[in-house]
Amino acid sequence: MNNHPSRLSYLTSGIIKENPILILMIGLCPTLATTVTARDGLGMGVAASFVLICSNVVISAIRRLVPDSVRIPIFIIVISTFVTIIDYVMQAYQPDLYRVLGVFVPLIVVNCIILGRAEAFAYHHGIIDSFLDGLGKSIGFGSVLFVMGALRELFGNGTILNYPLLPTAYRTSPMLFAIFPPGAFFLIGLLKALVNKLGWGR
Amino acid sequence: MEKSKLWIVLSLFITCLISAFALSQVYTTTLPKIEYQRNVAAIKIAFGAVMPGADRFEPTTPDSSVWFAYSGDIRIGTIIRAAEQGYAGLVPVTAGIDTTGKIIAIRVAGSAEGLKETPGLGLKATEPNFGNQFIGRTAQEIRLKNEGGAIEAITGATITSRAVTDGLRKAMEKYQPFLKPETESGVN
Amino acid sequence: MNNAKIFIAAFLVNNIILMRFIGLCPFFGVSTSISTAVGMSAAVLFVMLLAAWVSWVLYHVLLFPLGLVFLRTAVFILVIASLVQLVEMYLKKYLRNLYSALGIYLPLITTNCAILAVTFFNINYKFNLLQATIFALGTALGFALVIILFATIRERLEDAPISPAFKGYPIAFIGAALVSLAFMGFTALFGIS
Repeated sequence: MNNHPSRLSYLTSGIIKENPILILMIGLCPTLATTVTARDGLGMGVAASFVLICSNVVISAIRRLVPDSVRIPIFIIVISTFVTIIDYVMQAYQPDLYRVLGVFVPLIVVNCIILGRAEAFAYHHGIIDSFLDGLGKSIGFGSVLFVMGALRELFGNGTILNYPLLPTAYRTSPMLFAIFPPGAFFLIGLLKALVNKLGWGR
Repeated sequence: MEKSKLWIVLSLFITCLISAFALSQVYTTTLPKIEYQRNVAAIKIAFGAVMPGADRFEPTTPDSSVWFAYSGDIRIGTIIRAAEQGYAGLVPVTAGIDTTGKIIAIRVAGSAEGLKETPGLGLKATEPNFGNQFIGRTAQEIRLKNEGGAIEAITGATITSRAVTDGLRKAMEKYQPFLKPETESGVN
Repeated sequence: MNNAKIFIAAFLVNNIILMRFIGLCPFFGVSTSISTAVGMSAAVLFVMLLAAWVSWVLYHVLLFPLGLVFLRTAVFILVIASLVQLVEMYLKKYLRNLYSALGIYLPLITTNCAILAVTFFNINYKFNLLQATIFALGTALGFALVIILFATIRERLEDAPISPAFKGYPIAFIGAALVSLAFMGFTALFGIS
């Protein structure tokens, strides 16, 4: 195994091999709760990506100044700052999305992915690498959020991003199961089984 | 990473300070927009009550008395807001009117929104018993019964009833051109 | 909303894990054995109640009157992190076996969405202190119920013949789907939603 992973691998590992949701199995709460439609999943993905990338960069920038014993509280302060920023920005410019995501916007602060990457990566790597790592992981979980949202919206509503894709006959009585909580659990179970079968992360 | 005790405390303190400052800036910057969005949401609720099926409202007159209601890109009706002097103050009425000029529903704002009419009398104008009389009516029919119209006044609250009725009729007559879908100047 | 309804809503109808999807990470991580599930639930109950109180008081006495609502997220999560730290120190000293049984899951309570979520709900639903306590209690017990229930299921799943792709998380998720379906039966129980 290469001693110095290339810069690019920081970016790409987050997408498949170390996909936060499907391989590392962290950050599950928003994955199931905010993916009723594709737009919601995408919105949540973008919001969390903003926090992940910004906090990775900032924490990496200050890593030499942060005493080891208080690093977790400082990480938390940094992360919650960015979470609050995206919270208020969303309230101002995307109030519909904010209404749908609800408490999950401030809950980004306890998203294991973000604190996890800060501790495992950003604290020990340079700014550019941390940025790439954040970006890679963001694409990774963002895609899962979008795919989940799209699938649930497709089966539960016959649309994706509100574009009708399934015939009207289906859309008049869709599989509501997909929109409700059990459907979300079921779907991610299937996705994870698929990922296992395909051998991702091995 | 300096390990002195002082730096441990200081680093925490400085981080908090910077964070608090940054957040206060973000807060004050976004506050006006957030207020605006809240108003838009309140409008949606108020108008949605009289124009079910609409997902968008656009103000049409400078004083916001007339709004067009849209479902998607199709204009499905008009909202008219009027306020006439009642017994103890202005009585604001909101009416949803379909594209043929008939009323879909009306809404008289309640005491929580500032209506000062008498409880048990004038305040009854906010109740469905009174408001439902307006459904399906055209502007000419909006008059009190004892003046030749179709609206039964609330017993003991003629002034308030007249305020609602006349206020709405006058507004519908004044903005009559806006009620018909063909008439506005190219805005649809 | 009367207090009994608040409790039932938090406990069953809007169960934090199966209906709100909050608190999932420990749900899948800790429910592999019944004893860890019970231990985790106890710790969560304790921290959740304390966090609910401290955050409620801080909000109503400090943040809101001073117009510092925008610091809410940061303050609440720091309160939780500190409380977990304190609980950890206490357990290490007085309840060693529970401490080692919980292992890594104890500091993980900090990132337990459920606790932060409860602190937020207490504000959003405009609860007074008593209602907030009942809500926290109901939520923690609902959390415990689901985790322990699920641990019993997973202990059985360990020995069941399952195709390799589905072993571990996938079958756990599907199991959760079924339990969640069952819990949906509680919707509109006593007219709560």
